[in-house]
Amino acid sequence: MMHIALLGNPNTGKTSLFNNLTGSYEYVGNWSGVTVEKKVGALKNKTGQLIDLPGIYTLNPLSKDEGVVSNFFLHDSFDGIVNIVDASQLERNLVLTLQLLEFGKPIILGLNMTDVAKSRGIYINEQKLSAALQVPVVPIVARTGQGCNLLNEQLFSLQSKKQAPLVLDYGVALEKGIAQLIAAMPQELTEHLPPRWLALQFFEGNKNVWEHLSSFMGDDALTKIYEETKTNVQKEENADTLSQRIYRVRRTYIQAIVEQAVDQQTAGAATLTDRIDAIVTNKVFGLPIFLLCMLLLFKLTFDWLGTPLSDLLDAFFSGPLTDWLAFVLGKAGASSFIQSLVLDGIVAGVGGVLVFMPQIFILFFFISLLEDSGYMARVALVMDKIMESVGLNGKVFIPMIIGFGCNVPGIMAARTIEQPKERLLTILLTPLMSCSARLPVYALFVGAFFVEYQTIVVFSLYLLGIAMALLLAKLFSMTILKEEQSVFVIELPPYRLPQSKALFRSTWDKGKGFIKKAGTFIFGGSVIIWLLTYAGPQGLNVDMDNSFLAAIGGWVAPLLAPLGFGTWQAGAALITGFLAKEVVVSSMNIIYHVPDVDSLQGLMATEFTPLSAFTFMVFVLLYVPCLATVGTIRKETGSAKWTYFSIVYALILAYSLSFIIYQGGKLLGF
Amino acid sequence: MVLSELGRGEKAKIVDLSNIDQMVKRRLLDFGIMEGIEVQLKQRMPFKGPFMLDYCGQCLGIRHQEAARIEIKRV
Ligand SMILES: Nc1nc2c(ncn2[C@@H]2O[C@H](COP(=O)(O)OP(=O)(O)OP(=O)(O)O)[C@@H](O)[C@H]2O)c(=O)[nH]1
Ligand SMILES: [Mg+2]
Repeated sequence: MMHIALLGNPNTGKTSLFNNLTGSYEYVGNWSGVTVEKKVGALKNKTGQLIDLPGIYTLNPLSKDEGVVSNFFLHDSFDGIVNIVDASQLERNLVLTLQLLEFGKPIILGLNMTDVAKSRGIYINEQKLSAALQVPVVPIVARTGQGCNLLNEQLFSLQSKKQAPLVLDYGVALEKGIAQLIAAMPQELTEHLPPRWLALQFFEGNKNVWEHLSSFMGDDALTKIYEETKTNVQKEENADTLSQRIYRVRRTYIQAIVEQAVDQQTAGAATLTDRIDAIVTNKVFGLPIFLLCMLLLFKLTFDWLGTPLSDLLDAFFSGPLTDWLAFVLGKAGASSFIQSLVLDGIVAGVGGVLVFMPQIFILFFFISLLEDSGYMARVALVMDKIMESVGLNGKVFIPMIIGFGCNVPGIMAARTIEQPKERLLTILLTPLMSCSARLPVYALFVGAFFVEYQTIVVFSLYLLGIAMALLLAKLFSMTILKEEQSVFVIELPPYRLPQSKALFRSTWDKGKGFIKKAGTFIFGGSVIIWLLTYAGPQGLNVDMDNSFLAAIGGWVAPLLAPLGFGTWQAGAALITGFLAKEVVVSSMNIIYHVPDVDSLQGLMATEFTPLSAFTFMVFVLLYVPCLATVGTIRKETGSAKWTYFSIVYALILAYSLSFIIYQGGKLLGF
Repeated sequence: MVLSELGRGEKAKIVDLSNIDQMVKRRLLDFGIMEGIEVQLKQRMPFKGPFMLDYCGQCLGIRHQEAARIEIKRV
């Protein structure tokens, strides 16, 4: 089985091609740094496996996602490379290509974005490019699939090809250093990796390569060769640093190729991207436009589209579906235990959450739209000034927006943040972003208490999440995570009109996670909750107030009393919500045991006041990240300490803020 | 003169990048931006916010404080 690695600059369409050739769906979006981990997929024609990797500008990594690629080269074995190159930015892209050629594995060059290049008046002569680089070049449009078949056919021949590593002349002094280093490399090392490539990466300053070499040869020998070579190169003409020299030689080589192979007819007219940018990144209107977009999103999700659809679904679940299930169970002679488990436990618990599927899918649709359009990077730019004032940078806003869908991919996206401190802060604070799992809780409560102000109330919760994240970022970066200069450089990709197919794929991919969760965590949670309400210290089928759940909930209830919801029901719902925040709604449905959402909302009006309902929502927004998020925080920080910290600070924050809101609200007479 | 003094739509040649943060410099190099190349200022955010630059059809954003440390020559 052959293994082929997909490599290229960020945002050049690697994952688009991966999806096309494997028939699977991985995350695609129009900004740099969408893919942050290695993904493997089987080629459609079953001849081998394709490996999708994060985008990189060069093999020398700055951020964690880029490090994934360096490590892939050092530790994984593969048979060939497909190098995706953005035809509209050929010169920049070829810098990486040369490094791949120096590695000496068989390569195919996938010349992508040929449509964009053409529209900018850039014409690339593939034959000339292919002859100059001595690799096959296949022009493609990965987005539409054009040319992908041709590339697929060529993949097969990769395996049998031999490709000699490219050798450029880096000047006498550096070449001497390279020879010296190669001579010192032990055989166990050079068996697996090309020595000249290792030496060049080493001199370029690739930290991962340095570490790898030093595990074989020790730091002292390496430092000596490095320092010596550095001094010698500096003595030569140009007085370059090592990385400068390597870069300059490669660049000169590339310019010669580009001159031959590229024909650029200058297109001077302002592009559509320029015109859109003049508005959305406008000095004055940039931020208001972003807020307006968000507001519109919530208006659609709740008022205009989501709620009507969800009412229809509710009517179906509580009416025909329940009747039919009751009928089937009765006919099948199911015991009353089973009947109650299915109808009062599963239908109430799982159905009660699935009812809010329309809202969740609409939200996912808009997040996908945001991701695929190119607006995401602009939001980062517009937000940078504000983020800077709290010790972060604008790029951090991208994981946060993704976190509105689900916190887990949001935390993963933090890998692209270069500074370790800022990355850690992003991981810790992304759980404060109100994810889609909290949406059913809001929908339930605003429907009961704030019908007229739905959008504003929900919007305020989202803003509250952001505000708290910023406040804590300031606090943490002043105290426990002291200054390390924050940096910000961002690539702003051209806008792309999202294609409906890609948009639905991407929405479905996110929505699938929700449905899966309904079948696992929410289902399991509902069964457990129901069992806990069914059984009690006195036996089975007890009155709910004497059940185990009431006992457990009753234990935390006094703690919650100062927040306005000191009932065992609220306590139990919040505890179970750690599994997944939707389970809060499942619990309420099972506990209050009502036929549909409408009557639940009616019943809740007797248990909560509008003030305590709002406080409850604030508490659900902020208290502990869900189980899956905690797991991801653990994995991404690699530290149990920070994982506990993320839980503890969230609990403290949720409690104190809820306390202030409830007690303050009461004083003000709400 | 430095990059932050450039007006909207104006073009300039970069003369010296040695005063900026190393990490920023590395990133700029990733985009192909180094001494001797020509950039255009596309947009600037208010309150000394970030700058949008155009180089060879690619657009990127950097901070004001960095732009203030990049020596340029107007063209
Ligand atoms: N116009 C055009 N757009 C494309 C083409 N290929 C991909 N795209 C778009 O480019 C964007 C980036 O695509 P991805 O497949 O996520 O790129 P990637 O290289 O995997 O990006 P990273 O994971 O961030 O490195 C998406 O919006 C795609 O729809 C193409 O050939 N032409
Ligand atoms: Mg990708």
